[in-house]
Amino acid sequence: MKLQKVWAWLAILIGAAYFILPLIATFEFSLRMRRGEYSFDAYRSVFADSQFRDSFSYSILMAVLTILFGVLLIVPTAYWVRLRLPQFRPVVEFVTLMPLVIPAIVIVFGYLRLYNSSSIIPFTGSARGTDLLLMFSFMTLSLPYMYRSVDTAMRTIDVNTLTEAAQSLGAPWRTILFRCIFPNVLSGVLSGAFITFAIVIGEFTMPSLLNRPAFGPYLQLIGANRAYEPPALAIIAFAITWASIGILQFASRFNKARPPKP
Amino acid sequence: MSFLQLSSIQKSFGPVQVVHDFNMAIDKGEFISFLGPSGCGKTTILRMIAGFETPSAGSITINGADQTDLKPNQRNIGMVFQAYALFPNMTVFDNVAFGLKVAGKPKAEIEARVKEMLALIHLEHLADRFPYQMSGGQQQRVALARALAPKPQVLLLDEPLSALDAKIRVSLREEIRAIQRQLGITTVFVTHDQEEALSISDRIVVMNAGRADQIGTPSEIYNTPKTRFVASFVGTLNLIEAKVKDPAANRVEIAGQEMVIRDSLSTLKGGERVALALRPEAASLNAGSRTDTSIPGEVISSSFLGSVVRTRLKVGESTISFDMFNDPGLTPPAHGETVNLHFAARDLLVIRD
Repeated sequence: MKLQKVWAWLAILIGAAYFILPLIATFEFSLRMRRGEYSFDAYRSVFADSQFRDSFSYSILMAVLTILFGVLLIVPTAYWVRLRLPQFRPVVEFVTLMPLVIPAIVIVFGYLRLYNSSSIIPFTGSARGTDLLLMFSFMTLSLPYMYRSVDTAMRTIDVNTLTEAAQSLGAPWRTILFRCIFPNVLSGVLSGAFITFAIVIGEFTMPSLLNRPAFGPYLQLIGANRAYEPPALAIIAFAITWASIGILQFASRFNKARPPKP
Repeated sequence: MSFLQLSSIQKSFGPVQVVHDFNMAIDKGEFISFLGPSGCGKTTILRMIAGFETPSAGSITINGADQTDLKPNQRNIGMVFQAYALFPNMTVFDNVAFGLKVAGKPKAEIEARVKEMLALIHLEHLADRFPYQMSGGQQQRVALARALAPKPQVLLLDEPLSALDAKIRVSLREEIRAIQRQLGITTVFVTHDQEEALSISDRIVVMNAGRADQIGTPSEIYNTPKTRFVASFVGTLNLIEAKVKDPAANRVEIAGQEMVIRDSLSTLKGGERVALALRPEAASLNAGSRTDTSIPGEVISSSFLGSVVRTRLKVGESTISFDMFNDPGLTPPAHGETVNLHFAARDLLVIRD
């Protein structure tokens, strides 16, 4: 084996160890709830807790809605910027980068100032309104990743010519966007969706300060009061997130077409 | 009345005017080629017909109906692009069916029409393929079938052969012409390749700097170019500097030798300089029944081009190229040799700027 290959394998092993060893250690610790033997007691305890089920299903619902509304906002935006407003691309890119620069806690305090129950748009005046606000805040947090994923996928297709081809065949804008463009940027949409999903499941600041029953605050609460349940929760969260990503990837295989080379 | 009418079309992008007062009437079933170098405005005119650009002034009518302000998806115009523009997520069948589905045609009608179109381009067996599974030539044929499927009023071809290799280009242009004749569809073809334009068009529009320098049949464009630009852009051309000797008799002098040409010189004065054009194939080293003039020249070079040998001569102040059919038994004239060039003086054309 060449020396270069050895180094490559070594780098992979170190990288894998960096990610996998803590996970193995966490898993091993989560099995130690029963004194002197391994058991799944911590998992049983977690699953028996209705708060876990409620918070986790709430976060999953939020993630799905965030992805859905995020796609509806970002795909047409990225498409229109590429097609008609290429000169505004740097501005749009700058705007989408803002959530990386402004901390989540600053954003959420801004929301509370702007959308409190005595404001013109009183999102926080009701539970559903706050849910909506939380979803928008998740969309904001995922904006840099979602926009870049979609924009990169759009770069691999000739958006202008495909649009003109569809127009010359009589297609209206809605048909062009959803039948000609969207299926060809699906890989980018899915990449953005994976990251959005992970952000929403793990986000603590936004739901905590908006006082919504999401998984992040629940994880923090359990972590502060129990010993074995938090690692079990971490493993469960990992497993469900990976399973969701796997399902998304499986679904993406139905998208058989390979986009043309850029 | 013409089928496709372009009246006083102008187009400006900011301060730059790219099309100047363009007028043209195209008959139903005609195959028109727009020929010209990059940036001459030919694609802009095509895009205005398609509706992708709005004319700054003028109007476009098809079959008497004004199309100027209609959106591209309201015009029923088929278009084939240089980059194929097939939808990568759809099979060949779905690509061809796209326009019919958008029009809301019944499923059975769509299926029948797609099969008919695929048979037309001889690709029935590739209906389930995706674009990336096909060659460039096949993709462009599918793009043609897709554009024709909804039975458009006019077919626009925007340099459809440019991305293909030479052999496929020739076979596909013949196929396009055959299909166009079969369907009788009015077609506008944009190209910068003179051979393509000459070989398949009913008429050619030679564009130069946003204006039509000449509109005519391929034979007219090639044999009687109206401007220096047309003469130099279409085919290889010799431009010979001559002196007007007797304008009334159309008599000129080249390299000290006088001759009478066919074109009128009545607008010129005696002693004035004039540019005359001579096609390489109109001159020869041998005197023939058509030739009536002979001038001496010094051989600058001889290039073997396969079927022909192109020789360049220095005649007076001008350089003249002429072609001889390749003959293994004949030796091309050597560099520096003085030879007599024979041609018919009536083949000399007066070129105006």
